[in-house]
Amino acid sequence: MKSFEYTITDEVGIHARPAGLLVKEVKKYDSVIKVTKDGKSAEAKKLMALMGLGVKQGDTVTVSVEGGDEETAAAKMEEFFKNNL
Amino acid sequence: MLMTINSFLVLDGSIVDGVVSETVKEGAVTSMLGIQTLQMGVFGGIVAGLFAAMLCNRFYKIQLPTALSFFAGTRFVPIASMACAILTGAVLYVVWPVIQNGIFALGALVQASGYFGTFVYGCIERALIPFGLHHIFYLPFWQTGVGGAALIDGVTVMGAQNIFFAELASPNTTKFSIDACRFLTGITEPIEFTFLFLAPALFGVHVVLAGLAFMTCHILKIGVGTTFSDGLIDLILYGVLPGQSKSNWMMLIPVLIVYFILYFVLFRFFILKWDLKTPGREAEGETAHLVSKDEYRKATGVGVAGGKTADVKFDEKSAAILKGVGGIGNLVDIDCCATRLRLTLADSRKVNQAILKSTGASGVVVKGAGIQVIYGPSVTIVKSNFEEFVDQVRSGAISEASFLDTEKVPAAESPETESPTAETPASGEIMKSYVLSAHMNGRVVPLSEVQDEAFASGALGDGVAIEPSEGKLFAPADGVIETVFDTKHAVGMTTDEGTELLLHIGIDTVKLGGKHFESHIIPEQTVRKGDLMVSFDMEAIKAEGYPCTTPMIVCNTDDYEAVETVAGGAIKAGQDVLSVH
Repeated sequence: MKSFEYTITDEVGIHARPAGLLVKEVKKYDSVIKVTKDGKSAEAKKLMALMGLGVKQGDTVTVSVEGGDEETAAAKMEEFFKNNL
Repeated sequence: MLMTINSFLVLDGSIVDGVVSETVKEGAVTSMLGIQTLQMGVFGGIVAGLFAAMLCNRFYKIQLPTALSFFAGTRFVPIASMACAILTGAVLYVVWPVIQNGIFALGALVQASGYFGTFVYGCIERALIPFGLHHIFYLPFWQTGVGGAALIDGVTVMGAQNIFFAELASPNTTKFSIDACRFLTGITEPIEFTFLFLAPALFGVHVVLAGLAFMTCHILKIGVGTTFSDGLIDLILYGVLPGQSKSNWMMLIPVLIVYFILYFVLFRFFILKWDLKTPGREAEGETAHLVSKDEYRKATGVGVAGGKTADVKFDEKSAAILKGVGGIGNLVDIDCCATRLRLTLADSRKVNQAILKSTGASGVVVKGAGIQVIYGPSVTIVKSNFEEFVDQVRSGAISEASFLDTEKVPAAESPETESPTAETPASGEIMKSYVLSAHMNGRVVPLSEVQDEAFASGALGDGVAIEPSEGKLFAPADGVIETVFDTKHAVGMTTDEGTELLLHIGIDTVKLGGKHFESHIIPEQTVRKGDLMVSFDMEAIKAEGYPCTTPMIVCNTDDYEAVETVAGGAIKAGQDVLSVH
């Protein structure tokens, strides 16, 4: 299992557009990817759950990646966050 | 069939140049449907009908090699019928005269037996009425020597009816002859048939009583004429007018009274004794009434795909066609031509061409209130199956809900029923198929036209958008609220059937930070379809430069085989808008 922390810079937080893109990205990988904020966790594949977290600009989230391709996946995810969120 | 018999009759000399030969017994040959043939009464019709029905049931779905496919299905039945008819005609030609002769022989017997003969005559005549064969029975009596010969005014007159009229005309007659008094009947079929089927036993009693009536008149020397009709008119013309001395009609009155009492008592006795269900006496709750065809089918299953409700076959293709045309409520008429199934619909906009094409149609043409689905020559079979299927649905043998999404248009706030069926999409989960209703009043906007790439691209999932006409967001289905955004401009909910929905009011409206929005729900709240979830000030939002187009996204689109928009243009909240399956 790999994980990293990330602080959201996007002004809308994990919202519609970026959330959608995140979901699409996550689906590419086998690994189970979770986003946790303040103890609340959501599977990154589930759009609803993600948005339900209410992650806003400035929030710090922990992204965990677990699975066969976690190495690559984690790296890609981190990149994704930096670019979009 | 009749032509066959006719041919035989011509061949054996019975009919020469259209004239019935003298050797043929009176009444034996008649003209039926313009063809001279043996008088078979209603039996001819019964036989023809029987084999036509049998052939129809057996062959109406028959498939022929493609080159002959034009003649397949119901079109084959007339061809088969013709062949069968010829055979039957030949058989009847041989068999029927035997029966005819039998009837004649009876007539002769009656003549010879005096009072008892009259009794028998009455019985037989009445018994033959249901078959329509009484004509052939009494005709000999009326018209030929079987009914006696009399010398009236120097002319030998043969046949009871002829004698009667002759006597009527003759000033010399003082008393109508015995032979003449063999009439006392009329058209009583309607009432006879009523109780014939309900209580055949009663008819038997009736037959006996009729015979007795004849006999009584014979004994009492009452002779009132009849000309195929009943009662009062004949009574006056032929009974009263000729005068009491001739017809003895006044004796009829006490006879009538006696008979009235007799019938009443006897019938009542038998009805009660055998508990016969005549009109008015049915088991509690039932009433004897003319059962409509639909009721009959529902009750017995007969006429519904030719089978009982127990072994109803579910025709997938027909189900798909019915679904593709918008359900049974939309179907007005079913017809076909050589290659196309032609359906008249109440609302041809409800047609789903994709579904119709999936049933094997090579094309669909929509014309006003009707559509034509092109199947090729096999359409007769498709039509037969479809008609049966529709019958099954109409009679309740198959419930429409079991395969169809319901189509109803309720008011915005009232809940609608959904009809889910299980389907296994790619992910392996069993998701229910049903239709989500519009989440707003307004105008349907395809998702691809929404002014936000995130939605329009389908990145978030499939769905549909509505341009609202008022600032209200309603629940599109029963379900549970998962998320209410802080900014209240979006709601996430999961429907009872497992669909995860994102309803996002307006484009980029998250930036408003909640201004102009008012939420009426909280997370984990259960909502019913049509519940008001969020109110918003449309004008204010637009004034700030944000479109109010509101997409409804199925977040777990991957769990479904397809998510399709099923409505367009103006829409009211609660109307079907998005189908998931």
